[in-house]
Amino acid sequence: MTFARWIAIYGPTYVTGLGWTAMTALGAALGAIGWGCVLLLLRLSGPGPARAVDAYVQLFRNTPVLLPIYLLYFGLPLVGLPWPAVICGGLALVLQNGAYVAEILRGGLKAIDRVQFDAARSIGLSPWNTFRKVLLPQVLVYSIPSLGNQVVLLVKDTSLLSAITVTELTMQAKLLTEQTGAAYEAFVVVALLYLLLVSATEITFRAAHRAVRWH
Amino acid sequence: MGGVPPGSFALLLHGAAVSLLLAAVAIAGGTVFAIALATLAFSRLAVVRAVYGLYVYVVRGTPLLVLALLVFYALPALDLRTGPYIAGTLVLVLYVGALFAEVFRGGVLAIPRPQWESARSLGLPPFAKFRKVIAPLVTRYTLPPYVNVCVMTVKASSVLSIISVWELTLAAREIIERTFAVFTILGMAAALYFVMCFGLDRLGRRLERHLLRRGFVGERA
Repeated sequence: MTFARWIAIYGPTYVTGLGWTAMTALGAALGAIGWGCVLLLLRLSGPGPARAVDAYVQLFRNTPVLLPIYLLYFGLPLVGLPWPAVICGGLALVLQNGAYVAEILRGGLKAIDRVQFDAARSIGLSPWNTFRKVLLPQVLVYSIPSLGNQVVLLVKDTSLLSAITVTELTMQAKLLTEQTGAAYEAFVVVALLYLLLVSATEITFRAAHRAVRWH
Repeated sequence: MGGVPPGSFALLLHGAAVSLLLAAVAIAGGTVFAIALATLAFSRLAVVRAVYGLYVYVVRGTPLLVLALLVFYALPALDLRTGPYIAGTLVLVLYVGALFAEVFRGGVLAIPRPQWESARSLGLPPFAKFRKVIAPLVTRYTLPPYVNVCVMTVKASSVLSIISVWELTLAAREIIERTFAVFTILGMAAALYFVMCFGLDRLGRRLERHLLRRGFVGERA
């Protein structure tokens, strides 16, 4: 079968898979950045929570992402939460990548001058408003390139959700290979689609970096 | 919730040993492959440099699982009789090879100009230049990121469980599917991965300090 014919026949299958992958990645990326911000706030709120956040980050940095994926997929139904596989998997990606985002944001925090804390207090901002209006926006802007790298890793990690029956790109390719007996066509196309997604992610973050760079 | 069958921990421990072995082979193979690969990045020929760029771009832009499935399904089609272990190890070597190569490339770029000039003025032949100048300096500059990729390799080996390579993650999954002792088994598996990865990280730092005391490693690159 020629490559063109392969695309003509199975194109819609890939589009479905691409849709699932893109939606999962987008949702998990937003969730991970949000969760990372919460972890940063916790880290700043006192020595006790800071130690807890450190332990959390170390745990997730030193274990493979498949473990939280299996934990939520097999574990949540046992505690009475039979959520769809894509939610379990997406949540696992949020928990794991949130730990990395928290580390990235902590790095960004170092770039902020201590004077700004004093300035914020002297104009009467509460600690919460200092975090929300002074620290967080700057930290996020400084961290855009590193966050972009992390989101690229996250996009690739969505492929692991095929192990828990989510019908994203990798799963579609696997099904196609098993249905058609074709050895590699399905995966070559999927690899190209991932390259496309990853490149699009990189371009988006580079554009965002340029758009908000003020220094 | 189900009970934890006796012998589970021993099974997981066995799986962890396989994971560690996979990672060790991938790190050794990947390092050798990466040295060859990184020399391409410094070729005089633009075509060769482009090949390097394309390889790194493809490997870094594609999920490990997709590459693993590609090789897993394509190798039998080439009529080579290989099990998932060969395919899995091969993919892991190809994958981490690209990551190590990027680390080494960064290390070579960090070598200061005078080093190159003195190597040239000494008239060192290429191999001596590599062994006496480039290799020691790159080792010095890249030890921390190198250890990072090693830790990543241990974690990445878990992906091979999906192409039925029996290691720690697959061992855990098999027990879970039989017994539903999800939390205990995954807790144990996480603890084993943590010991391996965190241990590797600490070992790297220790080595760095040791080399520092011997005046080998300078400031962190």
